[in-house]
Amino acid sequence: MTAVRAVRAASRTGRTLLALWLVLPLVPLLLWAFADRWTFPAVLPQEWGTRGAEEALAAGAGGAFLTSTLLGAVVALLATPLGAMAGRALASRQVPAGTAVLAVLLSPLALPPFAVALGLDVLLLRLGVPAVGGVVVLLVVAALPYTTLTMRAAYAAHDRGFEDEARVLGATRWQTVRSVQLPLVAPALAGAAFLAFLVGWSDYIVTVLVGGGRLTTLPLLVASAASATGSDAQVAILSLTSILPPVALLLVVGSLGRRRR
Amino acid sequence: MTSTRRRPGPRGRAVLLVLPALVPVVAVVGAALTSAALLSLGLAPLVGEPRLSLDAYRDAAGDLGTGIGLSLGIAAAATFVATVVGLCLALAATAAVRRSRLLGALAALTIPIPHLVGAAAMGLLLADAGFLARLLGVDPSSWPPLVGGPLWAAVVAEYAWKESAFVALVVAGVLSSRAASYGETAALLGAGRWARLRHVTLPLAAPALGGAAAVSFVYTLGSYEVAALLGRAHPEPLPVLAYRLFTSIDLAARPQAAAVALTTAGLALVVVLLSLRALRRLAAER
Repeated sequence: MTAVRAVRAASRTGRTLLALWLVLPLVPLLLWAFADRWTFPAVLPQEWGTRGAEEALAAGAGGAFLTSTLLGAVVALLATPLGAMAGRALASRQVPAGTAVLAVLLSPLALPPFAVALGLDVLLLRLGVPAVGGVVVLLVVAALPYTTLTMRAAYAAHDRGFEDEARVLGATRWQTVRSVQLPLVAPALAGAAFLAFLVGWSDYIVTVLVGGGRLTTLPLLVASAASATGSDAQVAILSLTSILPPVALLLVVGSLGRRRR
Repeated sequence: MTSTRRRPGPRGRAVLLVLPALVPVVAVVGAALTSAALLSLGLAPLVGEPRLSLDAYRDAAGDLGTGIGLSLGIAAAATFVATVVGLCLALAATAAVRRSRLLGALAALTIPIPHLVGAAAMGLLLADAGFLARLLGVDPSSWPPLVGGPLWAAVVAEYAWKESAFVALVVAGVLSSRAASYGETAALLGAGRWARLRHVTLPLAAPALGGAAAVSFVYTLGSYEVAALLGRAHPEPLPVLAYRLFTSIDLAARPQAAAVALTTAGLALVVVLLSLRALRRLAAER
């Protein structure tokens, strides 16, 4: 009996520690975000307020939020259909040298993003490609492994019989894609788009190296505030602003996937 | 003439579908690596005549050596912690009795947090007047130098934290779909808690665990911002070294930056190939 109780107590302690491990780093973010004054050694802020938010807005958080959203959306809009088409082709096992093609499509996962950005930066400058275009192309390539893998898995589990039936019943190729195929893989498409959005939303190094100061995204503001001293409240509010939209999207995508199943 | 009017067959259609993704990847990766290689070998100088030389590698050799050791060390430490904690999270989130939905949800919500934000959070948590020092009531003068210290503790902690959630999600995905039935069978046959863990759950989780660990390792090896924010000025991990050389006002440092970038890419490739071989051997053992 005591052994069972000891195991149960150990398991409860273990779970508490695991939850603490996941949550603890976010606690100071939440507290600092609304702290006007929080001097050492106080465990909680002495004065609550919106100083951090005001500083963040003054530093250009509004524009950066829009830029980051737009960058994430453009990357998702380009990488999702490309990944879906590649995933469909690879799942059909009709691509010559399919394994090699998949390896090439996944290669951006293995290559350090700074190395690719650094190598391409010189070339883009010589070719006269606009900085923003360079950032988008690099991030789309970085997002393609995620969208391709997600959609390849979705199409591998997808039953093509429905499409054949639609074709037999007289639907055109495009009608079949639009009204049969896409609705069936919609949850996977949402998941792939979410991952591609994250690549654009979270990027720092590609925007810095290739963007050449043209793009001021939220990560750039977080980095510049975090490397300065005495702006902890601003760091915290900028960080929270960077966390909330993707977390909200994750909840939406998650509930979408559940409802479809 | 008729051949151009004919609709492509299934193979042709598959090729047409894969090309729009394949072309940009090949162009970007190929152009980036070629351009970096030419720059590092002195064949594409920003000023002066192109001349094949290994000067960039020779000049950067000292920093490159310490950088390789440091980057591998940080990646190994972070991956080790992430793998152990991630496995525990996955086990708790998929356990047959008292399954923890909370831990699974918390791990999933950690995934979309950008690493840079994780680094900012770790700074606020682990700095000498940070939240943890306040919680424990330790004076800044006697707080260990976790941020910017010689052991890179805050950097390792950030990667371990974020990647543990990733490992947990990957492993939990495998365990939730397959472990329950095997575990039940083993329990019916009289296997105890530890026997089930050792002979059923861990072997089932091993390939996913190994794959996730390899992805974490390669990611950590090539990631810039966390080490730049929470690390110290010297010595530098490879991405930080390359960034400093590349953005230096001294144009002669550019080829060295390319040399560091190519070395990091080569290192990542070796790690990927080694882990693929290890995973294949693991699969063959069954």
